[in-house]
Amino acid sequence: MLTNEDMDESGSSQVELAELQRQIKDARHRLELTLEAAGAAGGWVWDIAARRLTADPRFAALTGQDPLELAQGVPTSKFFTSIHPEDVRRIRLAVAGMLAGAEVFSKDFRLQREDGGIRWVHAHGGTVLNEQDQPIRFHGTLIDVTDRKRTEDQLRVAQTAGEIGTFEHTEGYGTVAVSRQFCRLLGLHPTNVLPVRTINLLVHPEDRPIIDPKLPSKPRSERNIEFRITRADTGETRWLARRGEYQEDMETSGLRYIGVLYDITDSKRIEERLRLSNEALSENVRERTRERNQVWQNSRDLLTVVGVDGVIRDVNPAWHTVLGYEEASLIGRAFVDLANGQERDQAQRLVAFNRSSPPASEEVALVGAGGSLHVFSWDAAAEGELIYLYGHDITAERKQAEILQETEALLRQSQKMEAVGQLTGGIAHDFNNMLTGIIGSLDIMKRRIANKRYDELDKFMSAAITSAQRAASLTHRLLAFSRRQSLDRKPTDVVPLINSIRDLLTRTLGERITLQTVLPESCWRAVTDANQLESALLNLAINARDAMPDGGQLRIEVANVTFAEGITSSVDEVPVGDYLRIAVIDTGEGMPTEVLDKAFDPFFTTKPIGQGTGLGLSMIYGFVRQSGGHVEIASTVGKGTTVSVYLPRDHGAPSITSSPTIERTPLGEGETVLVVEDDPAVRLLVVDVLQELGYLALEAADSDGALPILQSSARLDLLISDVGLPGLNGRQLADLARQSRPELRVLFITGYAAMAASRSDFLGAGMDMITKPFAMDDLATKIRQMLVDP
Amino acid sequence: MTSIGVTLDDLERDALTELVNIGVSRAAASLRKMVGKQVLLSVPSVEVVTQNAAAALIGQRESDDLVAIRQEFGGAFSGKALLIFPEDNSLELVRAIVGDELDSTEVASLKDEALAETGNVILNGCLGTIANMLNQSLQMSLPRVLYGDGKVLFDVDTGAETDGLVLFLYINFSVRDRNIRGYIAMIMDLPSLGVLKELLGDFISRVTADSNWAVGG
Repeated sequence: MLTNEDMDESGSSQVELAELQRQIKDARHRLELTLEAAGAAGGWVWDIAARRLTADPRFAALTGQDPLELAQGVPTSKFFTSIHPEDVRRIRLAVAGMLAGAEVFSKDFRLQREDGGIRWVHAHGGTVLNEQDQPIRFHGTLIDVTDRKRTEDQLRVAQTAGEIGTFEHTEGYGTVAVSRQFCRLLGLHPTNVLPVRTINLLVHPEDRPIIDPKLPSKPRSERNIEFRITRADTGETRWLARRGEYQEDMETSGLRYIGVLYDITDSKRIEERLRLSNEALSENVRERTRERNQVWQNSRDLLTVVGVDGVIRDVNPAWHTVLGYEEASLIGRAFVDLANGQERDQAQRLVAFNRSSPPASEEVALVGAGGSLHVFSWDAAAEGELIYLYGHDITAERKQAEILQETEALLRQSQKMEAVGQLTGGIAHDFNNMLTGIIGSLDIMKRRIANKRYDELDKFMSAAITSAQRAASLTHRLLAFSRRQSLDRKPTDVVPLINSIRDLLTRTLGERITLQTVLPESCWRAVTDANQLESALLNLAINARDAMPDGGQLRIEVANVTFAEGITSSVDEVPVGDYLRIAVIDTGEGMPTEVLDKAFDPFFTTKPIGQGTGLGLSMIYGFVRQSGGHVEIASTVGKGTTVSVYLPRDHGAPSITSSPTIERTPLGEGETVLVVEDDPAVRLLVVDVLQELGYLALEAADSDGALPILQSSARLDLLISDVGLPGLNGRQLADLARQSRPELRVLFITGYAAMAASRSDFLGAGMDMITKPFAMDDLATKIRQMLVDP
Repeated sequence: MTSIGVTLDDLERDALTELVNIGVSRAAASLRKMVGKQVLLSVPSVEVVTQNAAAALIGQRESDDLVAIRQEFGGAFSGKALLIFPEDNSLELVRAIVGDELDSTEVASLKDEALAETGNVILNGCLGTIANMLNQSLQMSLPRVLYGDGKVLFDVDTGAETDGLVLFLYINFSVRDRNIRGYIAMIMDLPSLGVLKELLGDFISRVTADSNWAVGG
């Protein structure tokens, strides 16, 4: 039977027990917390011979065992209590190794806690050997490394993800603690420790080593360094960067350098590419500059830079090669000063700096250092404050153009001569007819006078004069035609012109071809060169004649034509306006299309070699275009050819062509005239005429006879002299006469059409000229004019 | 014979590492006796790599010329074992072994002999221990001293098959107070590796069954 006390005691002891148990539990919990907080290490001793394991409370707490039991000793199998199933065989192996004589025990493994959590621990141990080198004890420490493991994992992941390797080097050590990522960056096999040499040998010899052989004495801020390495595995070159900081080492008095390494190859490569492309760019610029410089140096054209003030800033070597100037002598000179005197204005225009209108192209001749003249075609470009001039030497082209013009003129002349040649036969025949008329009439008159028959003399005299006049007019025409003349565009009445060459045309065409003309009264005047037009018509007539070997008809039709907008001609663009059309129409063989296409080409001829230059139509074309007109040609094989010449209409007021009034021959008033003429017949004639007209005539056969008279003090109002004299010619004689008689008027007589053509070059003031043959009335008029005009 | 399938799993690798650890510890004990100094060992590393890679591994770590004592072994499994030093501290090792009282010419003349002897002691200790653990016996050839880089030491240049897989394990050791450090390396060809795998399996089951296995025998 239980007493109250017993009850109390048992009750209170139970309460006490429960309280104690609670306290123990609390203490344990506190211990666990404390242990966790301290990251404390637990120790163990494994007695190999006695097969007993003893360990401290921390070891017990870590492995979840009873600390009392462990303190007193437990079977060695308790060592493996709480080790994670996946790690236990590994640790058993390692322990077995230790018991078999291995020296190093260093393992990380997991422990399972009561609450199911996992704790990473690091066990580090060794063996104690006896005299025979047999292990007798195996002991070590167990450290909770959960947090460190987590941090290490984080660090490892961070290093792998960020490809950043870490390392730590303590001063004086020949090895460096490295991370696996560090090894991977260098292409080394992953390890934890590397010799300093090994690391630094991978660095490019010119770059700074990764591991500084000598650390500074005090921590200092360290800039990043960049360097190239040769990867140990692939031999590839990579760029790496190192960053880090120095720390005081706890164990030695020196410093520790903790650093990271990362690969910057890609950014370096981009940098390099950028640098290269920049270099390439500047190289391009340099190349372009070189090229431009080449152009500047080697150009055969004149290149120059001129300021807005017109002063030359720079010239290229061509100035020396072409013009002979030293480059230095030109710089600072005004561009305009180099221009040919008459072309300063153009040169000024070239360097006129006008923002609103771009500089024009000009042809300006420059005077070379040796005084020679070179013609250049200039282009100018203004840029900023400078004008760039570019001059292309066209001197040779100019010369060629002049030669060409000369040649063309010669050709035109030869064309005419060709036409004259064509005429010669007919003209000789005509001349014979005319001479026959004259000689015949004179014969008859002579005989009739001898027979005292004066009744019909008049008729024969008229016949002789008519024949002689026709002959004179024919020679006049021929001479005028064969004269070399430049194009002289004037308002011209075409109808009388055609009438005047009708004779020539008729003879040219011969007897088997009839000439018809359609010449309306109402025709406009055309602006053209009469001489060239005659030549053109004659050429066309000759072409027509050759196209009608069996005879036919040539019609020349003149008509007024107006080109309005929208009407295009078959040849080329013609400005709208009024034209005079002269159509030369034959009934000959005509031309096929392929010939027609080439009809205006120079040197194209369908005639046998030696019978034509092939220049006829092209000359006509050239002349008509020069006149501002145009030419059309139409032809049908077997039907004939029509060549239409369109000449621009003259809009000037028609000059009143007064019909020639029969004027009385002007008479002299006793003036003294000296006649110098080597041809006695002509001299006789002229002296006779002068006397009849009431002048006092002196005569001389040449300058020898004339000079005494001229140098005397006798009165002399007029000198009439043949140009072609033996000894001094007429002009030289006149000049001599003028020395003593500066006011003396001089009338030259010449038989040379060429002389007449260049009369303006030949004649001075107070001089005039008359061409043989001349009518007496003309001579009288000329003399009177010269004596009356002031 | 195809041997591509022959690789070691983690546990086998651990077991082999432990065996080498034991062997090297024995060898280091022998070396300790020879030089009278504390010999420090690193945790061994075991890898299956190509022969080229093995040569490169040594070459990478040691850029200088190396000297090696090489012994071939045969038996249940076969291969080569090498004790490797940077050449510049091989003399230091010889001095440590033969004593500091010799002058340098004498040391130089003794060098190869001393190295061969040292290598023989260490490699025999190491391989013999491993063989014992696996209940096998191995025959060892006479040691040869070689000079050169990793390629020479591993016969990579001889034109033999070098892209085959080998077992490569190495251990860093250094002698306290002396500028001496080196590697122990072992390469086995793959047929041997197959045998080794089996032997390791047996070893693992023996060991893990009994925590006091090593002293219970």
